[in-house]
Amino acid sequence: MAVSQALVVRKRLVEVDEPWKLDIYENTGGYAAAREVVTTSSPEDTLEEVKASGLRGRGGAGFPTGMKWSFVPKDIFPKYLVINHDEGEPGTFKDREMFELDPHQLLEGMIIAAFAVGASKAFIYCRGEFALGSRRMDQAIRSAYEKGYLGSGIFGSSFDFDVVLHRGAGAYICGEESALLDSLEGHRGQPRLKPPFPAVKGLYGQPTVVNNTETLSTLPHIFNHGIDWFRKWGSEKSPGVKVFSVSGHVNNPGNYEVPLGTKLSDVLELAGGMLDGNAPKAVIPGGISAPLLTITDIAMDFETLQAAGTMLGSGGIVFMDHTTCMVRNALIAAEFYEHESCGKCTPCREGTWWQVKVLERIEHGEGRQEDLDLLLDMCERMDGRCFCPLGDTAAWAVRSNLQLFREDFQAHIDEGRCTYETDHRTLVGARAIGPGDAGVTPQPSEGIGSDSEASS
Amino acid sequence: MADISSNGTTKVLVGGHYQVAKSIVSKYPNSRSAVLPLLFLVQGIEGHVTDQGMRDVAGILGLTPAEVLASGSFYTMLKKKPTGEYLISVCRNVSCAHRGAHKVINALSERLDIDPGAVTADGRFELETAECLATCDGAPSMQINYEDFYNLTPESAVDLVDRIERGETVAGERGETVRTQREVSYETAVAGARLPGTAGDIEARTVGGESPPEDMKAGDRPKLRDDEGTHGG
Repeated sequence: MAVSQALVVRKRLVEVDEPWKLDIYENTGGYAAAREVVTTSSPEDTLEEVKASGLRGRGGAGFPTGMKWSFVPKDIFPKYLVINHDEGEPGTFKDREMFELDPHQLLEGMIIAAFAVGASKAFIYCRGEFALGSRRMDQAIRSAYEKGYLGSGIFGSSFDFDVVLHRGAGAYICGEESALLDSLEGHRGQPRLKPPFPAVKGLYGQPTVVNNTETLSTLPHIFNHGIDWFRKWGSEKSPGVKVFSVSGHVNNPGNYEVPLGTKLSDVLELAGGMLDGNAPKAVIPGGISAPLLTITDIAMDFETLQAAGTMLGSGGIVFMDHTTCMVRNALIAAEFYEHESCGKCTPCREGTWWQVKVLERIEHGEGRQEDLDLLLDMCERMDGRCFCPLGDTAAWAVRSNLQLFREDFQAHIDEGRCTYETDHRTLVGARAIGPGDAGVTPQPSEGIGSDSEASS
Repeated sequence: MADISSNGTTKVLVGGHYQVAKSIVSKYPNSRSAVLPLLFLVQGIEGHVTDQGMRDVAGILGLTPAEVLASGSFYTMLKKKPTGEYLISVCRNVSCAHRGAHKVINALSERLDIDPGAVTADGRFELETAECLATCDGAPSMQINYEDFYNLTPESAVDLVDRIERGETVAGERGETVRTQREVSYETAVAGARLPGTAGDIEARTVGGESPPEDMKAGDRPKLRDDEGTHGG
């Protein structure tokens, strides 16, 4: 049976031309849910409906959205809503797509969320590199103001709601919600000690709800169609649909929206299968922070992946075939975390630096046998001891590569070189470039999957 | 980092630029939130974040230059030294790396005769490696001044450089024309701001113009030093 998508959040942007325009959005049912909620419902009922829907955050942590909102104290004003559109988890490109193509969908979800928690002002923290998305959202906000969907007394009600677009400036850590708030306040983007959680003491010290783009883009559909409709997909604990970003060695990389609990193998089929019909060697199931999988017969939902020792995370799925050097894969991850570590805590700042040093040594054929256990020991000393999840996940990423593919690491040490066809001059960035160790540059091909296998 | 103490250089955020800065500040309940956009504004005017620009931002926001530097130096898009007119950012992360990003970086490095992180002698191009740009569906991918280019080969990447060098207009994956680094920085600075005299002027909106909630601390309101615009320009 052919696998098909369950289009909800992506429906408009797949089926409609220029879906970012307000008239198109309205002609396809847009702003009906927000209007209904704001003019006929109460904040309490709205919150209860979101709780009952079982919607869980789509940014990475999977925290129940309604519960997050319920932590906001009722009697402290002002409260703020902040949108985390700082998508930067390697392998993830879903928020970017829906924000660029369907900005009003997010604005509508924001109205519902703000009404429920009593926030009259929202900030959209848009990743600095997303130039087109920012342009589209800026225009969408203007048109929504002109129509009275934003501003004072929206939809003729007594509810005032303002939205401010804010751009980041290039820092992965700002996707962590408390670092995002520090950045939005004009500081270095470093995470805050919790508690207090943002719901109690967030932006400018006020109660603040921070939600992901996909999470709030889902809201209008829940209110248009009802909780039963939403819960017909997924499981009791992971209801609804989810957008997965699929990339790597697949034929049709892209975003695919499917019910939570869909088999990973079905998601792969949607993406056209592996390049050249190869078998997957390793899969990143939820952004580079999620430990690797070596199977595809697994349900893609929060609890199943957690039980398998990994996580659904951001929904960024990267398939890798047999041409992939897992030492290199670990090094790419380690260099990423080293670059993005904010420097606040020692285990992360120093640990990521040492991970890179040792992995570089192995990849360049200078690894020592004891380096393998040294790496595992470093991961052990980082995991659970870092100030925020960035350092913990740096440990997970490196450890899962080493534990699952120890033979790749061992071969590098035994043979004193990378056993894969890799151009070492530009392994992963400027710093790796040095004279003297240039490998053979493979000829361009249809894709790396069609490059020859391990070099002899 | 260079000395950023007062040295009598001409101010950057004066006149019309000061008015734009004020519009940006007015987006926020607390003026300090405007640090990053104001630094983008400086970059849009000067080509990079200059010491004088940081002093101006500090003056407008009531911060010390050191506080402005402390914030600004954290972020990769804010460039503290002169940049190329066209910044080429090639993704080096997992999806792109496994589909040949290193070949693209190599080819561009040879074509431009610079290592990643450097600017060409004529100041036209800067090459850098970037972390995941959320364009994995087009791996290997890159941005030129934050417009996306998908499914690159070493040849197609070099061809883009050739075309820009010939003065051709180049558009990215989503049809958007590549702008200059200064234009893009300026645009980033004013995103969401309602500039004076344009449709959506802040006076016509409630954003930034609303009355402070009664229980909001006085320090939470924008602290604008109105005299800043009159000095030195």
